[in-house]
Amino acid sequence: MMIGSPDIQIEDRLGTLKTLEGRFWCTFVRMNRRQFLLTSGGSALVTATAAPATTVLYGDHAVTIDKIRPDAKDLWIRAADLPRINEFELKPQGACRAAMCIPVSKDLKSGEWFNLTGFARKLHQTYVFDSGAWSFGEIPLMRGEFYKTRIAPDFAVPDRKGRLVHLSDFRGRKVLVITWASW
Amino acid sequence: MDLPGWQKVYAELHEQNFEIVAAAQDTGGEVAAGKWYDAAKATYTTLVDTQHTVSSAYQFINVPTGIWIDERGKVVRPAEPAWTNNQTMKIGEKSIVTEGEAYVAALRDWVKNGERSIYALSDDEFARRVKPRTPAEMEADASFKLGVWFHAQGKQELAAKYWARAQQLNPDDWNYHRQEWSFTPQEAGKKWRDKFDKLEQPYYPKLEISPAPEKK
Repeated sequence: MMIGSPDIQIEDRLGTLKTLEGRFWCTFVRMNRRQFLLTSGGSALVTATAAPATTVLYGDHAVTIDKIRPDAKDLWIRAADLPRINEFELKPQGACRAAMCIPVSKDLKSGEWFNLTGFARKLHQTYVFDSGAWSFGEIPLMRGEFYKTRIAPDFAVPDRKGRLVHLSDFRGRKVLVITWASW
Repeated sequence: MDLPGWQKVYAELHEQNFEIVAAAQDTGGEVAAGKWYDAAKATYTTLVDTQHTVSSAYQFINVPTGIWIDERGKVVRPAEPAWTNNQTMKIGEKSIVTEGEAYVAALRDWVKNGERSIYALSDDEFARRVKPRTPAEMEADASFKLGVWFHAQGKQELAAKYWARAQQLNPDDWNYHRQEWSFTPQEAGKKWRDKFDKLEQPYYPKLEISPAPEKK
């Protein structure tokens, strides 16, 4: 299936990628044409045409990022955007979130850029991409804490007036969380 | 759905430091869900969960489903069918059975006795019931959320594509199916029935509550 925008075409195929551990699945994409504009002048400056904003779905929320590094396969974001996407922060010891730090190999970094999909593969984290939106699944390492400790992952879901309610708002009380649907 | 039933349970148990948080798994939002909360005159916490965040967080695959969480945030009982009454609905050759009376009786015991309740599950029993997601289930979860995103953007073809992908990757998840079917209501009943007729397990998993709670 071809998804076209005026200057970028993406061929999207569902498939299975295997890492060395053989556990990682994802939808992979191949950009088969990207039009570059060459600016005039002495130095051979190359810039991509203005791409539409990229959306990253991560955990409960959607983050719009306006600057990514064009790449045929991976999502390179500015390291500065990392915390608002997934609460990780790049530190000398790695990508850190709360007390956890994941070592980051050199190939995941390039100047101000950070390879978010490469990082996901390292974590055995699934992602799916289409038409400017990337959706990331759970991080198995962090999910494993739930299976081990039984502490319910927190959520943030709006009530009928749009006010965000967190499970953690009810600490100190017994809670029955029930789902239902109109359908 | 059983929102009025839960209102009765809430009225009975709320004073015992107990909360009910109901989350409508409705991509249609308040427009789809609100009138049902109104009809039940619900005074417990009423959420409108367009992205099925709660089902995703706790690995729920149908509605209604409940999870018990204690004062420290620990799961006491994971996903189970959460009804308040006993019903048997015959559909074709099979029946749908709800076991709400036992579920509510066990809940009452836990609200009163806390971790000493015989219905508070051991770590071993929790581990037996809650299995880590498979890679296919993880990809289904990410695909469903991508579909919800496209739906919200008005890109219905892309939404349909990723909802179909989620259904294919995790065929046991009724939420992925029924939510998508709700957007073509004239076909939804037939699709549900076709899938239901092929089921080998009960539509709602049998409650594993033992010993059977005493009636109030």
